[in-house]
Amino acid sequence: MYAWSEEHEMMRSAVRQFVEKEVAPHQEALEHGDMPPYDILRKMFATFGLDTAARESFERRMEREANASTSGGSDSESSHASGSDSGGGRDAAMSLIPTIELCRYCPGMVTALGVSVGLTAAAIASKGTPAQKRRWVPDLLSLKTIGSWAITEPGSGSDAFGSMRSTARRDGDEYLLNGSKTFITNGPFADTIVFICKLDEGASAGGVSSDQERKDRKVLSFVLDRGMPGLEQSPPLRKMGMHSSPTGQLFLTDVRVGRDRLIGETEEVSGGGRDGAKVTFAQERAGVAAMALGIIEQCLELSVAYAKDREQFGQPIGQFQLIQEKLARMEVARLNTQNLVYRYIEMTEAGRPLTLAEASAMKLYTARAASEVAMEAVQLFGGNGYMAEFRVEQLARDAKVLQIYAGTDEIQITHIAKDLLRR
Amino acid sequence: MNVVVCVKQIPDPANPGKLTSETHTIVRDGKLILDDSDAYGVEMALQLVDAAGGGEVTLVSMAPHSETSGLRTALAMGAAKAILVSDDALAGSDALSTAKVLAAAIKRAEPDLVIAATESTDGYTGTTPVQVAEVLGWPSISFAKKVAVADGTVKVDRQTETGYDSVEVSLPALVTVTAGVVEPRYPSFKGIMAAKGKPVEELKVTDLGLEPGQVGAAGARQEVVSVEPAEARKAGEIVVDEGDGYEKIVAFLEQIKVI
Ligand SMILES: Cc1cc2nc3c(=O)[nH]c(=O)nc-3n(C[C@H](O)[C@H](O)[C@@H](O)COP(=O)(O)OP(=O)(O)OC[C@H]3O[C@@H](n4cnc5c(N)ncnc54)[C@H](O)[C@@H]3O)c2cc1C
Ligand SMILES: Cc1cc2nc3c(=O)[nH]c(=O)nc-3n(C[C@H](O)[C@H](O)[C@H](O)COP(=O)(O)OP(=O)(O)OC[C@H]3O[C@@H](n4cnc5c(N)ncnc54)[C@H](O)[C@@H]3O)c2cc1C
Repeated sequence: MYAWSEEHEMMRSAVRQFVEKEVAPHQEALEHGDMPPYDILRKMFATFGLDTAARESFERRMEREANASTSGGSDSESSHASGSDSGGGRDAAMSLIPTIELCRYCPGMVTALGVSVGLTAAAIASKGTPAQKRRWVPDLLSLKTIGSWAITEPGSGSDAFGSMRSTARRDGDEYLLNGSKTFITNGPFADTIVFICKLDEGASAGGVSSDQERKDRKVLSFVLDRGMPGLEQSPPLRKMGMHSSPTGQLFLTDVRVGRDRLIGETEEVSGGGRDGAKVTFAQERAGVAAMALGIIEQCLELSVAYAKDREQFGQPIGQFQLIQEKLARMEVARLNTQNLVYRYIEMTEAGRPLTLAEASAMKLYTARAASEVAMEAVQLFGGNGYMAEFRVEQLARDAKVLQIYAGTDEIQITHIAKDLLRR
Repeated sequence: MNVVVCVKQIPDPANPGKLTSETHTIVRDGKLILDDSDAYGVEMALQLVDAAGGGEVTLVSMAPHSETSGLRTALAMGAAKAILVSDDALAGSDALSTAKVLAAAIKRAEPDLVIAATESTDGYTGTTPVQVAEVLGWPSISFAKKVAVADGTVKVDRQTETGYDSVEVSLPALVTVTAGVVEPRYPSFKGIMAAKGKPVEELKVTDLGLEPGQVGAAGARQEVVSVEPAEARKAGEIVVDEGDGYEKIVAFLEQIKVI
């Protein structure tokens, strides 16, 4: 794949029209006011039939899984967690195109959407029991409900599993959940929360549990609903960018849950519970590349127009070689990022998911590219670049987080290098 | 009920258009898209067919180079099929020859109702649809701001300067709709995927029983003799308000006789 197909182009222009008509006019309220992004996202889903498409694809997947299990097939296929069905490539383009287009205006909306659908629903869809999938996934996929996926804690970020403090303690047939989570996208508004914690089986014979023991504990994921006793969802935190994506904290004090809320309804999960999260990481990283593409495309378009229009020293600033260099580098970043997105779509279509290291490389490059391009756009716009009216300052603030969430740049580098050195 | 919508595929108005130096017609080399004006007609047709509880919407278009991009957009919105007339012999057509071609294509679809836009975005003579009706020998109503079909008639609220006229004619008939008559839907992703498989019948002039000499430059009775750039607008007059600004405004309005 080296270009969008005719259908992709149609989707793109339809979504672009929608974004210009339904998102752009509310940008002030979304970015600087209190307007949550969910109603516009729901409208987008309904307009393009993405809600029905998601439900239908969920039903097909459930049917396939049911067939596979009755015919004795292993469930290794279904646990691939790609969240898409056999028409995977088509689905990949279908979800990436709205991502790219929304990111031209409000990357925060994609963050909110991606966490709800790409992380929360996907986590339940990949490891949940059929009953759990039916209970939570269709509503999440169609945005009827909004989801949060909570792993980060005040004391654990990059070292998500090692330093994790949140616990689940057995209490008869049930569990008591405790802990606090932070930087949780959609946290303030979420209806459904995937809470990731460690099974605390009490100290072994000697008394107090050692750090090592704590590190090695099983990782379990639970599904919580808004309003459960002992669950507190904080108001949105103030942050540098991504203002259209509400981010908050979660506090759990003895939240009592049955086994029906333990994803998979078993404590015996492969890789000690760490695998599920890792599959989710790979997907999330690919989504970041599409976000980067939207930000880069928009910054480049705005910059080219500005370079032709703005005159200093009696000529358009585009005539200065230092400005030309900025534009050229932006174009290189755009081409590379676009090629990575195309490659991801083509690989998904071919049924060949990215390895975690490939996804890391893609994320590392595109997140940096988006940040650099957006910051250079601010520079190219001069004082206007620093003013909200010209829009590039928002994209620059938004782009920065692509290097932090879904695994920091440094963590991506570590993954890539580890993979290379293991060969 | 079956409805035909005339849809013009035009160069993207977002790009600066060009005229050929000899014939002063719009250069139509690149990709052509669905004229926004016609999106209203497509939406109206889909709603009417829906309200009638059956039937389908057929698109009819005349465009160069077997262009289907604009048609695919309308098919993605929900039209069932399309007839495209594309033929080198059509180059240089004026409104009347365009109307003859469209009328011949429309006849093949045997519709109860034909919908077109009041005027296109690129040519905007606004003369084609009524000529189509005339060639077909069917009644036509222009400037519709509301359309309803019942018992073999179409009832239209026809936009006037002061309000609207209620007009009614028997079917088959042709109606031109104004922009904003309905809110055109966005094509759903499913619609977009389905559009590729919907039938587009491509015809030549001779397939329609017309002679090449009747259409195109050969059949045109009109010719664009020359094109002049619009006169640059004169700079406005700046009035400094020294407390008597309102008097100056009143004097100005009286002078141009609007009050
Ligand atoms: C004075 C004059 C100037 C002209 N200038 C140009 C010019 O600059 N460049 C050029 O290329 N041609 C020009 N033409 C030709 C013109 O494009 C054609 O006469 C013809 O296609 C009418 O187009 P229109 O856009 O004026 O249609 P209108 O009468 O404004 O169109 C109304 C509606 O009729 C339907 N319709 C019109 N044409 C088609 C079609 N081809 N297929 C399907 N539905 C259609 C659509 O619903 C459209 O919205 C000119 C003609 C005249 C008389
Ligand atoms: C807007 C936003 C939304 C978020 N949404 C969610 C969400 O929905 N759910 C969720 O669970 N989390 C979410 N997060 C949290 C995010 O995933 C973490 O912030 C991220 O993983 C980094 O963790 P940290 O903030 O604790 O940084 P730290 O891990 O404390 O990192 C600090 C610095 O040290 C570096 N560093 C750490 N370890 C190493 C190492 N081994 N080698 C080299 N350098 C290292 C880091 O790269 C970084 O530069 C969100 C964060 C933000 C900003």
